[in-house]
Amino acid sequence: MFVYEKKLQYPVNIKKPNPKLAKIIITQYGGPDGELAASLRYLSQRFTMPLPELKATLTDIGTEELGHMEMIGAIVYQLTKGLTEEEIKKAGFDTYFVDHTTGIYPQSASGTPFTAAYIQSKGDAITDLHEDLAAEQKARTTYDNILRFCDDYDVIDPIRFLRQREVVHYQRFGENLRILTDNLDSKNFYAFNPEFDTNCFKKTRKK
Amino acid sequence: MTKRQILLRKISTYSFAMLDLQIFLDTHPNDEKTLAKIRKYREMLMPLREEYERTYGPLTKSEDTNNWDWINSPWPWEKEGEK
Repeated sequence: MFVYEKKLQYPVNIKKPNPKLAKIIITQYGGPDGELAASLRYLSQRFTMPLPELKATLTDIGTEELGHMEMIGAIVYQLTKGLTEEEIKKAGFDTYFVDHTTGIYPQSASGTPFTAAYIQSKGDAITDLHEDLAAEQKARTTYDNILRFCDDYDVIDPIRFLRQREVVHYQRFGENLRILTDNLDSKNFYAFNPEFDTNCFKKTRKK
Repeated sequence: MTKRQILLRKISTYSFAMLDLQIFLDTHPNDEKTLAKIRKYREMLMPLREEYERTYGPLTKSEDTNNWDWINSPWPWEKEGEK
């Protein structure tokens, strides 16, 4: 179950619309390394995770990513509010506008609609955690790239917050991988799939 | 910033501190220092949340939420004063 909180995780108050920026930031809503992909990835992978620490981390981070998706939606919404047709055309936002007006649609910066092909749920905890580590770094690079094009502090501030969360999540997933391997056969982590094969955990550990 | 925004920012600060520490606890379940910090921030957060909900409407829906307030209190993606 999920409970909604009627607030953003970090405030978004953008005074100046900027459709050019909105067109690139939308990629963190529904692009290849965006928040929707992140959330869907973690909340799907968690079901078959073999240890309680990993289930807890994926549940909590996957939930936080939903909050980040809401923040990106708020940023794009505020960046595209109250525009004239002339401003839309001048900023090159007309290609988005023609399909979605100023509605928030999950797509990449280049216009590719969101697809579940952006994520994997492999049913192998070692494999999935490596994907998660990579996903956090890819999102971090995307935020770094977005920041190259930002000159408005009202946009820079929440984007920096989101970038920082990628770094923290990377740290937590690293700890998850260590907790997992600490409980596997140290001579060969890959002898078994810890999500599928039984009895691959050390005797001292209960699932 | 309006009074509402200042109060909401304080709430967001403490609840974010708690959320970050709670995720840390997922991989460090017995960390006493973190548990103590969470308790401290929770004590700071609770009166602010109560004040906010009393003045500006519900932050979460519960069994006794007034639905009129839920609909009409500001939505988080709107800028202050806009509907």
